[in-house]
Amino acid sequence: MRFEFSQEQFQFRDAVRDVLAKTCQPGDVREAWNNQTGRAPSAWAALHDMGVLAMLAPTEAGGLGLTELDIVLILEETGRCALPEPIVETALIAAPEGWVNGTDSASVSLPESPFGVWTDTCASVVTLTADGVRVAPRESVRLTQRESVDGARRLFAIDMGSTAPIAPVTSTALAFRRGVLGTSAQLLGLADRMIEMTVDYVKEREQFGVKIGTFQAVKHHLANARTKLEFARPLTYRAAASLASRDALASQHVSMAKVQSSDAASLAARVALQCHGAIGYTTECDLHLFMKRSWALERAWGAANWHRRMIAQSLFERL
Amino acid sequence: MNVVVCVKQIPDPSVPGQLEADHTLDRSAKPILDESDSFGVEMALQLVDAAGGGEVTLISLAPNGEVSGLRTALAMGAAKAVLASDDAFAGTDALGTAKVLAKCIERVGDADLVLAATESSDGYTGTVPVQVAELLGWPALTFAKKVDIADGVVTIQRQTEAGYDVVQSSLPAVVSVTAGVVEPRYPSFKGIMAAKSKPVDNVTAADLGLDGQVGWAGARQSIVKVEQAPARLAGEKFEDDGTAAEKIVAFLEDLKVI
Repeated sequence: MRFEFSQEQFQFRDAVRDVLAKTCQPGDVREAWNNQTGRAPSAWAALHDMGVLAMLAPTEAGGLGLTELDIVLILEETGRCALPEPIVETALIAAPEGWVNGTDSASVSLPESPFGVWTDTCASVVTLTADGVRVAPRESVRLTQRESVDGARRLFAIDMGSTAPIAPVTSTALAFRRGVLGTSAQLLGLADRMIEMTVDYVKEREQFGVKIGTFQAVKHHLANARTKLEFARPLTYRAAASLASRDALASQHVSMAKVQSSDAASLAARVALQCHGAIGYTTECDLHLFMKRSWALERAWGAANWHRRMIAQSLFERL
Repeated sequence: MNVVVCVKQIPDPSVPGQLEADHTLDRSAKPILDESDSFGVEMALQLVDAAGGGEVTLISLAPNGEVSGLRTALAMGAAKAVLASDDAFAGTDALGTAKVLAKCIERVGDADLVLAATESSDGYTGTVPVQVAELLGWPALTFAKKVDIADGVVTIQRQTEAGYDVVQSSLPAVVSVTAGVVEPRYPSFKGIMAAKSKPVDNVTAADLGLDGQVGWAGARQSIVKVEQAPARLAGEKFEDDGTAAEKIVAFLEDLKVI
C-alpha cells in the first residue's frame, strides 16, 4: 500500500500552523497557566472560524464530513504549540457525534483517563463507560477540581449523577479510539517541538569555549530522540488511516500509536531537559510548558504499558 | 466592483535563500504567497463585500506554473486567477514584470481597481505598482494605510514619515497598500477545499503579446555582481554621565521611533 497525505491535507496543516503561530505562542500557554480558565480563547476562536472544530461533523449538520486522516496532522500542530484547549475532545470526539455544537467545547472522561480536562469551561460533559456514552450540559454535573502537573490543563473529577447513556457501547469504543489517536498526534507535535527548541539551544549555549551542540554526546542524545519520533509518526498516521477506513484492526493500531508516541515524547522531554541543563528546570524557560503537557498526555487515554497489554491481548485473541 | 490584486509567490523566507549561477534567486522550491500581498487580498475582499457585488481576481508572474501561493489567496476568497508562467519570462526585471502584470490586467478586462503591496519580500524594488499604473495609463496611489471607495472615487490615507496625506483619484486606479492596511483573514477549510476548483488562467509571453520584450532579452537591468551584506556594525554606547537619557531620546527621535 502506498500511503501519502494529499496536498489539501498539507494545506490544512500549514494553515493551522500559521494561525497557531500567531494565536498560541509560549506566552499564551504561560498565560493559560495563570488565567481563570486555563485556556487560550483567541486560538480557539480562530480554529472555529477556520472550520477545524467541525471538520469531522457530518455535512448535514454543517460540518465538513472529513475523517480522522484529515485531522491528524492538525492535531500534531496543536501539540507542537501545547495548545491549552480541549481540541481532541471537541473536534475529534464530541462534534462528529453531535454531542457539542458551534464554538462550544466538550470535556471527556473515561475509566482509563478518569478526569475531565477544562471541564468547568466546557458546554458539554461526556463520559465513556462500559455501558455506553453519557452526555450532559456542564451545569447539571458536579465537578471537583484535581491537581495537574500541567498548570494550564485543568482537571476535574466528574459526577454525572443519574444521567442515562445516550449512545451505545460501540460509540464508546470509537470515541475512545479517537481520543487515543488525537492524544498520540499531540504527543508527536510536543516531541518535535521539544527537540527543535533543544537543537536551537545547543547551537547557542557555549561551554568550554564551544557550542555544546558540537559535543558528540549531545548530538547522539538528540539524534536518538529524533529517531524515536520518526518511528512513532508512521504508526500514528496508520492509526488515523485505519480509523478513517473503520479497519478491523483500528483498535490495535491506535494502541501501537499511543505506545510509540508516548515513548517518543518521554524520551524527547528527558533529552531536552538534560541538554538544557539547569535552565531547563526553571519555570522561566519555555521548555517546561511542553514537557509537562507531554508528561500529562503520556498518561492520558491509557499509558504506554496499558496499551501494550491491549496489543498483546488482541494478538493472542487472533491466535 | 471588480478588483485585481497583484500577488507574488516567493521562496519561503524561513528557509535560507540560495542564488543561481546567474545571480537570480533559486525558485525551485515550492513557493508561498508573499505575506505582504495577503493585505492587498484582504483589502480587495473587503472592498468587494462593501460594494455589494463584483469579484477579486489575482494576477501573478511565477516560474514552473506554480500555483501554491495563488491557492492560498484563492482560499481566502478570491474568485479566480491569471498566472503568467513561461520559460521566456526567466530573467525578467521590474519593468518587464510590470509589463506582464499590465497585460494580465488588460486580459481580465473589467478591473475597477488594482491593488498591490508596496514591494515584494524577495525583490524589494518597490517600483512595480507605479510602473503598472504608468503602462495602463491609470493614476497610481501609493503607500495606502487606508482605502475607501465611494461614487467612483478612491480615497486613501498615504503613509508618510510624519503621519499621512489624504489622496483621491478617479477609478480605475492602481493602489499600493502597506502591511497595516487590514488584518488578513485566516483561510477557512471550506475556502481551501473550494480553492482547488477555482479557475486559473495560464498565460504565456506569446498569449500576452510580449515575445522578446521580457525575460533576459527584454531586461534593461542586469545583475553584475553579488556581494555579502556588510556585517552589522556595533551599536553606539552611551556612558551615563547624567545625560545618557537625553542622548537616547535624541537617538530615538532621529530614528523617528518617538
